[in-house]
Parts: sequence; C-alpha cells; structure tokens
Amino acid sequence: MTVTEEATEEAPPRRRRVTSLEVLCVLLVLALVGQSWLASALDVAAIKTGATVFVAVCAQALPFLVVGVLISGAIAAFLSADLLRRVLPKRAALAVPVAGVAGIALPNCECAAVPVARRLIQQDVPASVAVTFLLAAPAVNPIVLVATAVAFPGEPKMVLARFLGSMGTAVAMGWLWARFGKMEWFAERAMRRLPEHVDGRSRWAVFFETARQDLVDAGGFLVVGGLTAAVLNVVVPRSWIDTLGAQLVLGVVVMAVLAVVLALCSEADAFVVASLSTMPLLPRLVFLVVGPAIDIKLFALQAGTLGRRFAVRFAPLTFVVAIGCAVVAGVLVLGGVR
Amino acid sequence: MRRETQNILLVLLGGALLKMSFTGTYLRYVKPSHQWLLVAAGAVMILLAAVSIVRELRGETDLDGHGDHAHAARSAWLLILPVLAVFLVAPPALGSDSVGRAAGNRSAPPAASSTEGDGSALFPALPAGDPIALPLSEFSSRAAWDRAHSLDERTARLTGFVVQEGDDTYVARLAIACCAADAFPVKIELRGRELSNLPDDSWVEVLARLRPGTATRANEYVPAVSVQAVRSIPEPEDPYEH
Repeated sequence: MTVTEEATEEAPPRRRRVTSLEVLCVLLVLALVGQSWLASALDVAAIKTGATVFVAVCAQALPFLVVGVLISGAIAAFLSADLLRRVLPKRAALAVPVAGVAGIALPNCECAAVPVARRLIQQDVPASVAVTFLLAAPAVNPIVLVATAVAFPGEPKMVLARFLGSMGTAVAMGWLWARFGKMEWFAERAMRRLPEHVDGRSRWAVFFETARQDLVDAGGFLVVGGLTAAVLNVVVPRSWIDTLGAQLVLGVVVMAVLAVVLALCSEADAFVVASLSTMPLLPRLVFLVVGPAIDIKLFALQAGTLGRRFAVRFAPLTFVVAIGCAVVAGVLVLGGVR
Repeated sequence: MRRETQNILLVLLGGALLKMSFTGTYLRYVKPSHQWLLVAAGAVMILLAAVSIVRELRGETDLDGHGDHAHAARSAWLLILPVLAVFLVAPPALGSDSVGRAAGNRSAPPAASSTEGDGSALFPALPAGDPIALPLSEFSSRAAWDRAHSLDERTARLTGFVVQEGDDTYVARLAIACCAADAFPVKIELRGRELSNLPDDSWVEVLARLRPGTATRANEYVPAVSVQAVRSIPEPEDPYEH
C-alpha cells in the first residue's frame, strides 16, 4: 500500500500538458514493473493482515455503494423536485419522521445512503429530511433487524431496542438540523442543481452520468475509509474489550468509540457484539446504534460527498445523540443495564 | 481528473471485482453469498464507464462540463489502490497473525431457551459417524457449554491452520459474519504429540478427542484435545467458517 501512496503523491495531476490519463498509465506501468518488489515489501504479517482487511472492506462496501449511486441517479433523472415537494409534508417537523419511516423501506448499507442523501438535497428536499434518511436507512431496515434477531436469539427485545435507538437518533438529528442547521455548511458541489431535462433520452443520459460521477467521487472516499479501518483493525487490540467486564460507563464509552473505529457493516455488527458475552447488553446496544449512524468510513464519505464543514459538525453531534438515544432505548426496553 | 481517466479507473475496478468473484479469491475477503453482489457491482461499474465512453466518442458531453469537478475528482485517484491490491498483491486470507491479535475464543454461551444461569446448554445430539467432522467453532462451543457432554468419547475431525504460541501448538480457524473485517478466531490446543515442527499457517486435518473440562473461563474457553493423527492438506477453497 505504501508504495502506491507514494506514487500517487508524486503524480503531478495538474501540471500543464501532462494529463491524468498519462499519469495513470505511468502509475500502472510502474506498479507492474515493481510488482515483485511490491509483494515482498508487503510480506510482513501485520501489513498482510491490514491489506486483507482493506480489500475486504472495499469488496464488502462497493456493491452497496453501486446500489446507492443507481438510486441517486434515478432520483436525479426521474423524480422531479416538484414531485418530491408534493409527496413530502410541508412542515419539517412532520417531514422528518416520514423520512425516518422511508428509511425502513430502502434496505441499503450506510455507504449507499450518502449519495442518495446528497441527491435529495440537490432536488430541493429540506436538508433535515435528507439527514434523517441518511441516518435511518442503514440502521432500521429489515435486513439489519433480522440479522440482529438471529445474532441475539434469546433476546428479542434487543431488536426493538435497536430499532427505537436508531430511529430516535435519526429523527432527533433531523429535528436538530431543522432548528440549527445551516445550508452553507454543505460543500458547493453538493448543492449544485442539475439542469431539468424533459425528453426521455436525455433523462437516461442524466441517470448514467450522475450515477457514474457519484461512484467516482464517493468511491475514492470509501477507499480512504477502508484504509483507515484496516489500519485501526490491526493497531487496536481487540482483546482489551474483554477486560472491561462490568465497568458500565466505561463500557458504554469504549463500545461507542469501537463502533466508530471498527467501521463494520450494519448487517454484520450484531454478530460481532453478540460474541462479547462478558459485556452487559446496554454497551452492546450502544455499539449497534452508534455504528450505522457514524463510523470512520462514513465520516470520510460524508466529508467528501457533502463537505468537510458539514461532516465536522454533523459527525460528533451524531455520535453524542446516538449514545443518548441508545441508552434511553436500552433502559426503557431492556429494563436497565443487564 | 479527466473523464477518460475516471472511466478507465472504473473499468479496472469493475474488472477487479469480477476477477475476484470468478477466480474464487473473493472467499478470502467476504462471505460466499456475496459473490453475485460482486458480479453485479463489477458489471454495473463497467457499464457506467462504457456508456460514458460511448457518449464521449459521439461528442455528447453537454451535461457535465469539464473543469468544475477538479476538486471532487482528486479523491478518485484512490480508486487505484483496490485495483492494484487485487490485481498485483492479492492479499491472502487472514491467518495466524489475526489469531495472535485476539486473546482467546470469544465464543458466547449459546443463547438457546435451555440455557442455564452459568451459560451451559443442551445442544442437539451429534450425528453418528466416527470420526465426526466438526467446524472448529461448533467444537469449541460444545466443549465449553454443552451440559450433555456430547463430545466426550467421540473422535472429531478438525480442519484449520497451525498456530504456534510459545510451547503450545494450536489448530485455528477464523469465523466471519460478513467480511474479513469482522473475523474472530477460534482455536483449539493440540496436546499429546510433538507438533512444534509444523509451520504457522500450514493447513492440517486433525483427528482428536476432547480433553473434558479444559475449556474454562480462566483460559478464555480454549479447549484442549488429545491428538490421534495429523495430516497436511491444501488450503480449502473457503478459508473461513460462517
């Protein structure tokens, strides 16, 4: 990995007369020539483990990102801003819960929700609604809830608690945004409108072009997230989770941080926490609610797609709100710590 | 970045996904049912790039306009990393290094309705057969939690890779729920034979009997077995348990 990163930095993408196409060719040739050197440089146990995790995160997330950009392209091409305005309730206070419920119907992973949310904002949907959808879609869809039920066969209440915690986070963040959010936090390119096209042929052209552009943009940031997750996966020793045992407050904080750091996909995280049998249910619920709402890979995607100024405000607030909602849902549904 | 370059990167990335799903190397990274998703995603990527290339050739570039994507598209360079990783490096499946990073078997007590307060439970009876082939994860959770002691007096056939830790030799395997990022290790200590000559990460098939009562809270529920026979085998197509 190090080799290609160095090579990317050396590449002069904007020097006159050297186009990116030629840079790419040179990079590929260099990589091919240096393949055996590359392979031997990576022949360290920890780096190999990291490389495997990196490819795994990419292979896991890319199909869902593709689904997301296709939906995003379809919204851009076939759903006019007028139509969306008519469908959604006028008042943000009502539209936010509607967006949360819409999240149930669209089973996709967190990486897919980011381009869709951006497209909704471009189509004049209030940002509070888009934000709610962004948080709800990966967390409360049927696939995730069934996976949770399978992972916790003796604890059906865990599914309800997860649903309420995640939905609470999404709706609370939507309302908070409606009250305090500012549109200028979004990057200019996230807001740029597409020209309205009328005839059928150019609608398809819009569909293909927006989907392709979204994929190229978001794909790069997904790679950043995958790299970070791979490094942390190797560096953070998972064994120290087990020593926490009954330390409740510490357990909640550590599990929340771990959810951000490990960046697991929302259909798998339940299986991972289910195996932490020494830990009470409440910290494990916090892990399940925080993970789909915000993690390191998602932060990279949001910063790239929606703007850095948006992400540095949105991510920490989501983190705090998600912990709060998870604790409340846990106390109400699970009846305490357990 | 120019659109042509973006399209080439998309074709390469789509090709990488198709390559790993057709050659079977995807099993090192994700669960088996993910294969068709990878194929579909790779095909869609190549299709999106192809449509753009065709439009470019026909001179229809009215929509996007050049230039103002300059900032956003810089991140697209990173797409080359997974491409190079898949085509040139092809990282191996997780092995003994990952086992060493975890403390023990994080096997949870089975959450069945018959679970007792101490976590023990009644497992369904084992099928007949001698030796009986068992996944390492099932073997170790039965060893730790089965109240009926269904493994006692049974010879099991275990498949995994070798992990040497200090003076002890283990057979281990990683279990994944979704992708290799969520893998957790299961290991079983091999006793009764001198096996320290087996190198780390070499795949073996072990015939062995459980030493009852060896999987305890103190040793993180890592059971020990008495080895009867060890045979070297090639790495199985799917290196993980699910």
